[in-house]
Amino acid sequence: MILLQEVIHQIYFVMALVVALLLLTRLFRRKTRPGLAYDIVYAYAVIPFILRALHIK
Amino acid sequence: MSTSVGRESTTKPGGSGGRALMLRRVVLLAGALVLMVVGTRDIRALRAYRETVVVSTALTSQIPLSTYFGGIKGTLMDAPVYVFDSGVPGGSVLLIGGEHPYEPASPVAAYVVMENIVVTKGRVFVIARANMSASTLGMLGNAYPPFFRIKTPWGEKKYRIGDRETSPLEQWPDPFTFVHYPSKQNLAYQDSRNMNRTYPGRPDGNLTERTSYAVSEMIRREKIDMTIDLHEASLGYPVVSTYVCHQRADELCMMASMILSAGPFPMKTEVSPKTLHGLTHREIGDFTDSLAVLMETPEPFIDKFVGPMTEALMLTGRDEFMQTAADRGLLYADYNIKTGASLDYRVGRHLTGAAEVINQMGEFYPAKKLLATWPTYGDVMKHGIGYFLHDPEKADPRRVFLD
Repeated sequence: MILLQEVIHQIYFVMALVVALLLLTRLFRRKTRPGLAYDIVYAYAVIPFILRALHIK
Repeated sequence: MSTSVGRESTTKPGGSGGRALMLRRVVLLAGALVLMVVGTRDIRALRAYRETVVVSTALTSQIPLSTYFGGIKGTLMDAPVYVFDSGVPGGSVLLIGGEHPYEPASPVAAYVVMENIVVTKGRVFVIARANMSASTLGMLGNAYPPFFRIKTPWGEKKYRIGDRETSPLEQWPDPFTFVHYPSKQNLAYQDSRNMNRTYPGRPDGNLTERTSYAVSEMIRREKIDMTIDLHEASLGYPVVSTYVCHQRADELCMMASMILSAGPFPMKTEVSPKTLHGLTHREIGDFTDSLAVLMETPEPFIDKFVGPMTEALMLTGRDEFMQTAADRGLLYADYNIKTGASLDYRVGRHLTGAAEVINQMGEFYPAKKLLATWPTYGDVMKHGIGYFLHDPEKADPRRVFLD
């Protein structure tokens, strides 16, 4: 049970990392919506996921 | 530079437009990372900071809580337990501080005890930071500072304010509804991370439940006669300035509250409701032989109708909106903005409140008599808390610990 809880807990960090990587990929490699506003949104939106993946917040 | 939205890019990879686009995105990402580092400075500082405590010469051992249950070993919840054993047979008491870190008179009172205690009969156990994880983050929606400082004759001492629940970095996700074990009572989802809703705990539960279980195990194995859990309450909450006691301890609590109310400060007694589960005053009393007592002080800082939640409010407890509420009879404790409810006052209440209920245990049960002294309410009100906190730079390094 404790092991299962720990696995589920760690999955959340992995999910945060995956989302962060996805956002970073989309920041640099995307074919649609290339405008500055979207660049800012992608760069800004990645922050909370990096913070969670690094166990900061 | 393209600023188009919602259409195909016209820049070609490798071309000058492509390089400019790449450079723009790198700059934006770098800017976001700088913002992240700068913006989380306080968050990282709070999580990394450890409080120094110069423990009294009465200390006989310091052991990790995981000694009593290995299921929390290696986690931030493995709090240090400080043991002050006189070597003379007598009663034993556990003082628990910091279950809800945003009630800081609780850990500070525990620190004042640890730094000044003298024990001549019986044993005293102290956990100053029972939920260390909860002390390493702030509360969402409450814009209060991460630290507060206490002035001492040798400088300032800094303490974390913290949150009420275990950090999601240690325990996540929350359930839709937290089902308390073993009562099966439904509690709010965030109570799965609220240490004072997870007693008596369970060995295969979530991290907070396992921590509560470790405390319960400690009480059972050490045969602790009385457990005193230190808290603070908002003045708009009926159970403020109160002992909340398990029914086995209600008479001695009532005697203690009468003595205090006739003397230094008003103190009520409530008997622990039998159908409210997860709290120390109910579950420690039901699942161990210990006499369970919880204490609440009046803390304006955590009331919802106060003004800015600043360090000054934490230290002085002076707030004009609180006075307005008092003028309209909306509070459950006396309040006057001229005196406020300072940290000195609240810590002093805990110190003398704990001492009095321990004294009453000895009166009601002579075999459980415990003789221990630490600064009183009068001492703290006269000199201030800082007077009783020692300089770690000048202390014997063997007496200096980090919490």
